[in-house]
Formats: sequence, structure tokens, C-alpha cells
Amino acid sequence: MGHHLATFIRWLLVPVALAGIAVLLYWLFRWIGWKKKQAMGLALVSPWIVGFLVFTLYPLGNSLYLSFTKSSIFGKTEWVGLDNYIRLFTLDIEFWPSVRITLLYALFSLPIGVIGALLVAMLLNNQIKGIGTFRTIYFLPAVLPEVAVALLWRWMFNSESGILTWLLSPILHLFGMDKPNWFGDPRFILPAFIIMSVWGIFGTNTVVFLAGLQGVPRSLYEAAEIDGANGFRKFLHITVPQISPVILLQIVMGMIGALQIFTIAMFVRPSTAAGKFMNQLVYERGFNQMHMGEASAIAWVLFLIILALTLLVFRSSPAWVYYETDMKR
Amino acid sequence: MSKRLSMLMSVLLVIALVLSACGGSKNNGSSGNGGNTAGTDGGSSGGNADGSGQKVQIRLSTWAGADEAKELQAILDDLNAKSDVYEIVQDSNPAEYDTRIITQLSGDSGPDLFWVSAQRAAQFAAGGVMLDITDRLANSSHPAANTDDYYEASFGPFTHDGRIYGLPWLQQPVMLYVNKALFDEAGLSYPDESWTWDDFIAAAKKLTKDANGKRADEEGFDPNNTVQWGFTLNGWPPVQMFIWQNGGEVITEDGKSPIDSPEAMEALNFYADLVQGPLVPSQTIIRDRGFDQMFRNGQVAMFMGGAADDLDRTVENVQAFMVPAGPDGTHVTFADILGMGINAKTKNPDAAFQAFLDLTDAIHHWKIMPPRKSLADYETLKELHPDKAHSLEAIIASMQYGRPYRYSEKYPDWDNIFWTQLMDPIVNAGARPSDLVPKVKPLLEDALK
Repeated sequence: MGHHLATFIRWLLVPVALAGIAVLLYWLFRWIGWKKKQAMGLALVSPWIVGFLVFTLYPLGNSLYLSFTKSSIFGKTEWVGLDNYIRLFTLDIEFWPSVRITLLYALFSLPIGVIGALLVAMLLNNQIKGIGTFRTIYFLPAVLPEVAVALLWRWMFNSESGILTWLLSPILHLFGMDKPNWFGDPRFILPAFIIMSVWGIFGTNTVVFLAGLQGVPRSLYEAAEIDGANGFRKFLHITVPQISPVILLQIVMGMIGALQIFTIAMFVRPSTAAGKFMNQLVYERGFNQMHMGEASAIAWVLFLIILALTLLVFRSSPAWVYYETDMKR
Repeated sequence: MSKRLSMLMSVLLVIALVLSACGGSKNNGSSGNGGNTAGTDGGSSGGNADGSGQKVQIRLSTWAGADEAKELQAILDDLNAKSDVYEIVQDSNPAEYDTRIITQLSGDSGPDLFWVSAQRAAQFAAGGVMLDITDRLANSSHPAANTDDYYEASFGPFTHDGRIYGLPWLQQPVMLYVNKALFDEAGLSYPDESWTWDDFIAAAKKLTKDANGKRADEEGFDPNNTVQWGFTLNGWPPVQMFIWQNGGEVITEDGKSPIDSPEAMEALNFYADLVQGPLVPSQTIIRDRGFDQMFRNGQVAMFMGGAADDLDRTVENVQAFMVPAGPDGTHVTFADILGMGINAKTKNPDAAFQAFLDLTDAIHHWKIMPPRKSLADYETLKELHPDKAHSLEAIIASMQYGRPYRYSEKYPDWDNIFWTQLMDPIVNAGARPSDLVPKVKPLLEDALK
């Protein structure tokens, strides 16, 4: 019991300390002559700022530092400058296959995810009886834990009793192909993961699109109908431009999510012959091979890839994203 | 002004309180810190608080799952009751064990004792996070401290630059588990010590059967319609074992990787032929039906697994035999080694060392197979493990041939290349050793530099 009490007291002390810091800051801000409102606001968000500094900014900075060092977790950390990056780009046999499979995965799974989610959301946007039930059902996948989903997929991919093999083998048979060894044969690993990404269509993505669709004013459709527009034209000229900010959000979030694929890959444990996903490589370099420096460098390359692609999407957005306050050019 | 001052005072008071609390918890050191993790292990901490005023609390981290942790707790209760020096508290959790222990050891929150795999032991010893116990062992008269009693192979992973950093509590040689009913049905006699690769392949052929009952060595056998296989491989058992049996090496003492030697190439081809041939199920089938599950179901007649596997206890008609010897009769088997280490940062090295020896000895009497020669005795082990009695003679005989990988700080890098660049393509993509070896050998040797 004794040590439980000690732990409990320490748990209590953390909020007390945070509150103390908030009060101190408030008082300091007032001291230097800030307005009451201003001081109060900043003092109240200060616990979050402390958390951000300690748990996000410091680890972030530290990993950047580590990526320029030779570090084996234990003991010495040695500054090596750009060595880790140079080795990755020139010598590392796992790095480029890893970049390749990660980018390919994102390239294929992203459009499937965005277009699929939009189509499902349009279905769910219909005013039919029991639509509430359908919406609930289509949201269910988001509630399931990712590991349970991975198990489910493994069963679906089972080449003897799996439902996917049953569906696909007549098609594969036409091309004279055998039942695929989905997670063993390097040729089938990327397709298997792209198929699994279909799961991402349902759930949160669909709901976000649905919210976007419901925000489109009915009057626009009515006006278009009077002008004789058919369903497809309405979709192309009203729906898409109206929800383009949502599409932008989905593309950015989906891309980040796809490039960071980790849980399912670690759980399914496919053959490594096709390469490991980048996050997998980070984990295995860091915690299996204990090269924290190299692992950090890979993580930063992944970050830069994500940053570059996100910027690219944002730069392109003025051409196809319309905000209500914008004037059409 | 006075209002501002009183506010400042109150804030300073709060900060002082916080700081003194932090300092306080540091002062009671091990017992205070112990609370963090001891509280998380379900139910095992009961009854250790009262009367332990003088005893030192020793924290033990293991990867034991629920049932194993319960058995371990019974052992710990017994040891704790006998000792007036230490009180061992376990923190057992199989989830992400390695990651957790590495993180703890790299900080200051590590346990006093921890279970460690052979590969990690080599890394930890080189990294200086395990206590050097060479002199303590030499000065101790404890039965578990007698280094001469251990099988030499089991010490490899715990030795770094001639110093000892931990003790093994298990050396598990790979055994050949055999479904005797299928042997009887094929009219084969069971494996014995004289078995070599040729006998093994001949038996596997007789034990591989298609739907029409034709065996693999008979005319008209249909390899696309197999219902029973002689053997199974999926990267396990490790190819290293076959290379050693054939007189080859994968890592030499001076950091070379001679996998292109004729001996190694012959063994690699032997392995590739098996995995890609008709005597072993395809990798697709193995994945779908389950590797050991197929053996349990009688779809596979011979299976290689560690001596501690439950196949001979839980499946009818199954017995463990020695793995076949190489073509010239060389006996070697891969041995998985597990052990325990002491945190180099422990605050109570003396009590920890005593608890470490007692616990190591207790585990030797709990798990199969203890790495000690004095315990490798049929009668002793039969009493401890009656449900494995029929396999014990072969297991004991295998002990002296057990051999772990040549672990080192660089081993994980080497291993990563060996599996991803060489074995994975051979097992999963039908690649041939002769195409890969010239390319992979320099990569392997780079990894050892």
C-alpha cells in the first residue's frame, strides 16, 4: 500500500504544479502590465504549452540532433554530421526499397480512399428511410481497433479459405496464375496492402465528406435543375467545387496517414523481400538494431517527404479549391 | 504591492513543495521507485509490504505471460519467504518487452534484475548496461555460480571481452519432433543418433503422400495433390544449423562470413531444395494452415522445434529425437539461450546478486532445459517434467551439441541482411542460393565491420 500512496501523491502533485505555474505566469503577465484578459488567457493555456514543450518540441529537437549522431541508446552519442544521411542515400540497401514501397502505397491507396469515401458519403447523403441506421453501420469500421482489423484481413487473405482468394482466383486463373501467397510473395505484398487500405474509406473519412455534402446549399442544385443540368453536371459543377476544401483536407490527411503506415504492417508481418514501410524501418533500426541515429535520420527523411508533398498539394490548391469567400478567377 | 507579494509567496511555496516532493522520492531510492511498476503487475504484489522493513526490494522484469507469471510468482514467494535480505517483486509483461526494457535501461528507471534473450544479452553486455559479475561469481559458493557446471555454449552471449555479464537459465536445443503413428504407418523405424541428412530425406520421402496414397519416392506421385508432408520449413529451423552440420560457418571469429564455402553452399542448397521441393508444404499452405498446427493435425510427419515445445506433451504419439547429423555424421543443433542480467545501475548490487543466483537456480529447476551439466540427468529431470519423460533422453543427448548464433553488438545488423537479402527470397520467392550468395556475402561482411 505504501508505494501506491507515494505514486498517488506524485500524481496529485503534477496538476498542483501545473496550476502553480499557471498562477505564477498570470501574475507575471500582470506584473509587466498586460491586460487582465490577455494574462488570464495565456496563463490558462500554459499547461498545454508546457506539455507541448516537454513532450513534443523537445523530443522533436532531440531526434533531429540524434539524426546527426551515431547513437546506440546505451552510452556514448557521437556527432557524425551528415554521415547517417549520406549512408542512407548511398549505401543502405534497405532505404530506397522502403521509400519506394511507401510512396507506391500512398500513390495507390490515397485516390482509392478519397474517391471511395466521397462516393460512399454521397450514397449516405440520400434521404431514404432508415438512413440513420446506414450511417451508423458505415461508421462502425472506425470504432474497431486496428489490430482486430488486421486479424480480420489475414483471415480474408487466407489462400485456402479466405473470401478474397475465393473471389479473385477465377480472375487469376484466366491469366494462368496460382493462388497468391499474399504476404509471402513479394509481388503481392503491395497489392495486398492497397486492398487493405479500402478499409480506410469507411468511418471518419466518410463522415467528414458527409458533413461537407450537407453543407452544400440546396438552392444551387435547384437553380441548376431549372437550367437543365443533369446529375453528373450537378456533381461536377456544384458538388465538387463546393466541397473542394473538404477534399483538400482529406487528401492531406490521407496522404500523411498512408505514408505513416505502421500498425497493420507490423501486425501482418509480410515478407521483407519487397521492402519494409518507412515507419517499420525506423522502428527496426532503432529498437532491434539499436541505431537510434540512423532511425532518427530515416524518420526525418520521412518527415521531409511528407512536408514536401503536403506543400505541393497546398501550392496546387488555389487552382482547384474554392472557398465561399473567394472570387472565381 | 502587498497583494503581489503575498501571491509571489504562495507560488514560491507551491514550487518549494513540488521540489521537496521530487527530492524526497529520490531519497528513498529503490523502494520509492519500485512503487511505479510494482503497482502495475496484477495481484502479485500482495502481502509483500508488511514485515519487509529490513529487506531490500529487488525489482524483476520478465516477458512472462499470465500463466507463466503465476508460476514464477509461486517461485518468488518461496524465495522471498526464505530470504531475509531481499524481496523480489516481479513486473511481467510480454508486450513489447524488449523495447520497454531498452528504454528503461537507457534511462534510470530500469529494474534490478531482468530476463534477457541471447541476442539482447550480447548487445547489453557490450553497451555496459549489465553488471559485470565475473568476480562475484568466482567468489561465490552458490551452486548456480559454478561456471564450470554450465554448458560452454550457453555462456557465449553473456560474455564480452572475457568478462561475464549474466547467467543463462535456459538452453533449448532444436529437436526433431516425430509423429510416431505416421512413421509406423509408413513402416519406418524411428530416428536415432546415427541418422544423417540422407536418412532424413529418405524418411521424408516415405512420409510425403498424395491424395491417391502414392508416396514421394514412388512412381506416379502427384506433387500438386499432396495431403501429407514429410517435413516443414518456413525459415525456421535456421539454415545456420544445417551449415554447421555440414562443417561450414556463417560468422567466423575474425568477422568473416564465409557463406560461399562449398560446405555452406551445399547446406544452403539442401535447405532451398527442401523448402522449394515436394517434401515440404508451400509457404502459402504453411501460412494458411499454421506452421506447427499442420504437425499437430498429422499433415506433417516431422517438425523441428525447441526442446521446451509442448508438442510431445500435448499431441498424441509425438516424441522428440535428435536432429539428423550432417552427411559425415557431425552433430550440431541450434540452441536458443535465455538468461538473466543485473542492471549495472542497481542501487543494491549485493542483494540483487544474491536474489539473482537464487532465482537463476530456481528457474533451472522449473524450465526445460537447464544449461547445467549437473542437472542434465534423466532421473532428476523426469521428476521435474514427467509429461516430457519420453523425450528427455534425446534432449539431454542434444545438449552437448547445442550451439547459439555468434552474437555480438553487430549481430542484429548481420542478421537483418541475412534474412531480408538471402533467406527471405529463398523461402518466399523461390530464389536460388547460387544467385544470391555472391551479392549478399560482401553486405554481410560490411555489417560485421
